[in-house]
Amino acid sequence: MDLSVFVQLLLPGLTTGCVYALVALGFVLCANVSGVVNFAQGEYVMLGGVVAAFLFAHGLPLPVCILLATLVGALLGALQERLTLAPVRRSPDFIQITITLGVAVVLRGIALIVFGKDPHSMPGFSGDGVFEVFGAAVPIQSLWVWGATALMLAVMFWFLKFTDPGRAVRACSINLQAARLMGVNAERLTLAVFAVAGGSAALAGIVITPIVLANWDAGIAYGLKGFIGAIIGNFRSPGVAVLAGLGIGVLESFAAGYVSSGFKDAIVYGVLLAYLLVKGGVFVFGRKSLV
Amino acid sequence: MKIRAAVVAFLVAVAAYPFVLKGQYPLSVGIITGALAAGAVGFVLLLGYAQQLALGQAGFCMVGGYASAILCVNYKWDPLLALVAGALVAMATAWAIAAPILKLRGFVLAMASLALHLILIVLALEMAFTGGALGTYGVPKFALLGLPLASDLAFYYVVWAIVLGFVLLGLAIDRSRIGRALKAIAASETAALSAGIDITRYKVQMFVVSAGMASVCGSLAVHYLRAMDPNVFGFAFSLNFITAVIVGGLTTVWGGVVGAAIITGLREILRGLSLPLWEGVIMGALTVIVLIAFRRGVAGFISHIYDRFTGKGAPRVSLAQPDLSALKKLEHPAARLQVEGVARSFGSLRAVANVSFAVETGAITALIGPNGAGKTTLFNLIGGYQPLDSGTVSFESRRIEKLLPNQIAALGVGRTFQNLQLFDNMTVLENVMCGTHRLFDRELFNRSKAKAALAFVGLHGAEAMQPGELSFGHQRLVEIARALALEPRLLLMDEPASGLNDSETERLAELILQISALGVTVLLVEHDMRLVMGLADHVVVMHHGEKIADGSADVVRKNSEVINAYLGIDHAAA
Repeated sequence: MDLSVFVQLLLPGLTTGCVYALVALGFVLCANVSGVVNFAQGEYVMLGGVVAAFLFAHGLPLPVCILLATLVGALLGALQERLTLAPVRRSPDFIQITITLGVAVVLRGIALIVFGKDPHSMPGFSGDGVFEVFGAAVPIQSLWVWGATALMLAVMFWFLKFTDPGRAVRACSINLQAARLMGVNAERLTLAVFAVAGGSAALAGIVITPIVLANWDAGIAYGLKGFIGAIIGNFRSPGVAVLAGLGIGVLESFAAGYVSSGFKDAIVYGVLLAYLLVKGGVFVFGRKSLV
Repeated sequence: MKIRAAVVAFLVAVAAYPFVLKGQYPLSVGIITGALAAGAVGFVLLLGYAQQLALGQAGFCMVGGYASAILCVNYKWDPLLALVAGALVAMATAWAIAAPILKLRGFVLAMASLALHLILIVLALEMAFTGGALGTYGVPKFALLGLPLASDLAFYYVVWAIVLGFVLLGLAIDRSRIGRALKAIAASETAALSAGIDITRYKVQMFVVSAGMASVCGSLAVHYLRAMDPNVFGFAFSLNFITAVIVGGLTTVWGGVVGAAIITGLREILRGLSLPLWEGVIMGALTVIVLIAFRRGVAGFISHIYDRFTGKGAPRVSLAQPDLSALKKLEHPAARLQVEGVARSFGSLRAVANVSFAVETGAITALIGPNGAGKTTLFNLIGGYQPLDSGTVSFESRRIEKLLPNQIAALGVGRTFQNLQLFDNMTVLENVMCGTHRLFDRELFNRSKAKAALAFVGLHGAEAMQPGELSFGHQRLVEIARALALEPRLLLMDEPASGLNDSETERLAELILQISALGVTVLLVEHDMRLVMGLADHVVVMHHGEKIADGSADVVRKNSEVINAYLGIDHAAA
């Protein structure tokens, strides 16, 4: 195997994998505190990229664009929770989850109307150059993606591990009901988590835009692949979800490089289906805990 | 009556439409609406009844569309046969995916179906036999077994006849034991299991049926468009289904028809106003708003108005005396339950440790112990709601410790819950009819059996009421009636007296004796010592997960360990 080809596929795979990892983490955190799988998660990635590129094209300085677009993601995440989930907290899960899908469609629709059909581009934060690793050329922007992701992951895991609200989130993931009985204010926590998930997804969308362009209909792919990560993490384990997200990015890149770019998605989704079929128990029978 | 009125209204609307709005364009809209409605009716069964969200339903439209296009163009099949073949392929695919995946909890089917759809799009683009990105052209007009449909008007009527067929099929499902099982699952999965309902099975069935209907939708659309390519049924088309059934109404298959009409109408209006970009925002917003504020949707609203207008509603009837002759004695009461070395830990907590005891046929056995003794856990282990760490449970000659709750119920083991688990989306009678699920009888028999069980517990007259309209004590009786409708040989009752007042508890004790007199073996977990001591032939005492005593009520009452456990060591010494 040619090392430079391997690296040429691995590193970009890790770059998109970073986005999937952050989306997967958002899925897991939201599901933990509210019991709701938020299908709008991927749309915040799209919005982050489109909004930042749009602001940049209108002459705002880059750091301001990044900050504003991240805030837009966080704000919309919080708004989504307040306007569409808080009023139906007691409804069956499938109603709440279908609502998040409706929100995703609205966000896509708004992006289409406001920012148009054409993809948006943005220059790399440190120029559009490339650097070389083992003979593979990698955009310098990748360093920003990796760095931003690493930073966000570090902050979030520190938050989960060492702060009181973080411990509350983890308590919710073990037993939502018990955590509420122990005095965890799930209302406030849910709002905060949706805002953080929206903001971090938006930031992921911003840092990746110089590499892949931002498009109004990109959210579904990000959402779906992040969702795969969350499924592999069983909607419980943030660490596994993040690793799975990275893995999906790499798998996708290898599939495109070694098989064919046309079949890339079929391979990734095929792996998801196969995983679910095996896990769901083509060969597994017997009891699971139901109470 | 209501169904007949709806069918008449449907027939009139469908028949009149082409004559009210004349011309090719309205007719085209009518045909497309019909095709969408065919798929949407199936989607109501999936989203509304089975409560499973599928994000890739248009994938099955692709299956139907390509089957019709390829079989008719390349192999000169009759369009109707191609349509059926496509539906069968779609249903087989749906079954292969859903049967294992729906054993998982959560919303995995949503993404699994979307993944399938995206894979199908890639295959359609990359494979030669689909015609790749260009697709397959020259699809003939629809025909019925060699009889070609000369005009679009004829095709329009055929499409809507198919829709009517699907609606009638959906209504038949709604009124069958399957429909009742689905409603039970939607209200409480735990209680559905206790009635012997296999949750995965009915969800899978609805996914398969909806896939078949979506495939037919695809076939019909392709015969209208006369071509099929990978872009015809994209993600947006899946969203159309979702929005249509939510706006139309999730509680009845008519919602699919109404929703399809609304969605198509809305899209045509937006096109007329040159605002096609707004479609997504409006559809999404409609979905969100309807789900938050008008959950019944348009069809549910119409049905509500109809009920108002015709003055239908639950009649209030006073409750009758129990009719003890309503239920017959069991002919084969054999129901020995043997629990052998059963253990279950949660982390380091040993909730149940090596417990063995037997419940003899015909006896009333009580499982007692202080709070946290492990009674309810043991109960859940016996009923199949949790896996055992070790030990065996036998019911008669069968080992049941590995069976699922619904399988155990199907053997003739009824169960009631400490926290009431009634189906609040059904009448009292329907609640009890769910209990008959395992018997596979005709609905007529199910109904009379449920009525008899209600009469037996003294709720004769409450059949048409909603459970929420009854007092707590009466709701408890509904649950007991539901368990009795299962014709159980063994009845597991989890703290039946909790929440009852003294006189209600007294009546409950009588009822349990009467149930026992039918030949039903009873195992109850109970707190109320007066109830237990007056009733039980045999008492098993648990403490800290272990069995500390086992015997007749009198023997157990004098056991010093039991006194210690209940009153503390000081009292025993004094």
